[in-house]
Amino acid sequence: MLCGLRVRSDLPLPGLLPWSGDDRLVDLSIRLGEVPGRLRDGPADYSLVQVAEDGRCRFAFPTVAAYLVSADGRDIVIAPANKVDDTAIRTFLFGTVLAIVFQRRGLLPLHASCVRVGDKAVAFAGDSGIGKSTLAAILWTRGYQPLADDVTVVDTNAHGGPAVLPSFPRLKLWRDSLEHLGHRIEGLEMVRPSLDKYQLPVEERFCPAPLPLAGLVHLEMNRKAPPGLNRLSAMQGLARLNMVLYRPRLMLRLGTQTQQMGQFLRLLGVVGGLQALRRPETPGEWGEVEALLPVLAG
Amino acid sequence: MGGFYWISSYPKSGNTWMQLLLASLMAGGMALDFSKTIGFAGVVAAVSDMDLFMNVESSDLTPAEQADLRHDLALVVASETAEPQFRKVHDWWGHTPAGRTLFPPEVTLGSVYLVRDPRDVAVSWAHHSGLELDDSIAFLGRPGAVIGTAGRWRDQFEQRLGSWSGHVASWLAADPPPLLVQYERLSADTAGVLSQVAAHCGIDASDGAVAGAVEATGFDRLQQEEKTHGFYLGQRRNRKFFRRGIVGSWRDTLSAAQADRVVQDHGLMMARLGYI
Repeated sequence: MLCGLRVRSDLPLPGLLPWSGDDRLVDLSIRLGEVPGRLRDGPADYSLVQVAEDGRCRFAFPTVAAYLVSADGRDIVIAPANKVDDTAIRTFLFGTVLAIVFQRRGLLPLHASCVRVGDKAVAFAGDSGIGKSTLAAILWTRGYQPLADDVTVVDTNAHGGPAVLPSFPRLKLWRDSLEHLGHRIEGLEMVRPSLDKYQLPVEERFCPAPLPLAGLVHLEMNRKAPPGLNRLSAMQGLARLNMVLYRPRLMLRLGTQTQQMGQFLRLLGVVGGLQALRRPETPGEWGEVEALLPVLAG
Repeated sequence: MGGFYWISSYPKSGNTWMQLLLASLMAGGMALDFSKTIGFAGVVAAVSDMDLFMNVESSDLTPAEQADLRHDLALVVASETAEPQFRKVHDWWGHTPAGRTLFPPEVTLGSVYLVRDPRDVAVSWAHHSGLELDDSIAFLGRPGAVIGTAGRWRDQFEQRLGSWSGHVASWLAADPPPLLVQYERLSADTAGVLSQVAAHCGIDASDGAVAGAVEATGFDRLQQEEKTHGFYLGQRRNRKFFRRGIVGSWRDTLSAAQADRVVQDHGLMMARLGYI
């Protein structure tokens, strides 16, 4: 199971929870097979991503794998590079490739980690390196259930309002963050064999059920931002779309930007606007974020 | 189709000052609002640019892979922006591990290279990075010197500097050649040098705007603003970013042996630039 989708995969995906939903057919099929070379002459032709006239989208990272996503976002074909480790294939699969799938399926991926607060979800968005995963891990150690790390997928058309679809019970952390949390890296799966970054399993306290998104925070790099939550207007929120959505420029490549801008605006309305917050950096500041959670979920 | 103006230097050589001068100049010489982060001429090695334009989680890439994609990134950003892009640079002018240009000439509109007496740089770098003076001098002499390797928040890529001499040499031989700006000349005649830089970068700047920008970024002013609002650009905690800004301040800080070591390491380039 992955973000509400029933997945069948040739590639082992040990991080995913088993399917526990209805008796439906497979929503997303992941096969190993042949992927054509760079797709030229389509509406988008970039060094890593190309989109064909018929809507197929190819993402390739030469030392890892080439991935082809069907136009309806129901099929992924993966052609691994020689002698590549499965962990690396999964890392790019769970990043840009699934972002393509979600965007094709009308779901809104946020560049955010997400935790459960009561019966609601609160998401923390921001650029890479801002500390989203570290914050999720700290809140996890304090008893909050994560729903997603790095990519938070929202179904804006869910009954009862926009809902976060839980991804999988792993947090992606650098060694120093893990050690700060008092975890050893021994036995953890690496994100890629060449990086000092690991997958921390969080099965024991993971929220496997979709929850309404009640709060959306943008973690800011800006050290000059005033402390505490700063509620942004719809226009200010929209101006930060690039920092809150996951792979926002893929929307342009795929031609889904109008739909997703609309979804994002609607989401901002439902959560009462984007809330800016200076990224927490110290135990004291992490405690302050924890104290804000009831407000954010309220 | 846009393109880039690279505002480049070895660290602690006046790059931030130039960034602020240009930010004010572009706004007609207005005072800058230091209660906010100055957004103009962002760092070329910023991780967020690559994630956005290359559609990839750059933190999942190795430093070598990141470096290689920086060539593609420059091309994509240039093709997807209409206005000239200004970027602050500390990398040497060189090639990616796969041998492609880090600053592709085909999308370079121009470069400004700031250079400062390495004895002053050594003192300033020691303060900024928290190194002892001897270690700072050794850093300036290290051919493999790299910054941004293990930033606490990893918001910048690794940037290869090389030694101070190697850095200067790489930029002096860059394609296209940069406008060379010596910190000492910038300090002595800020308005004159800024006008030159503006002309080089295609910025239409009136004398009034130039004077306003100089006024807005005077060293005392910057120190005062830092005191009031803070100014953080990677310096060690609780250290000032705008420290002294004085030309030749190494004389009261470096021992004779230390100053001589800098000259031993970099004498040829220092002579070429008139520092000895």
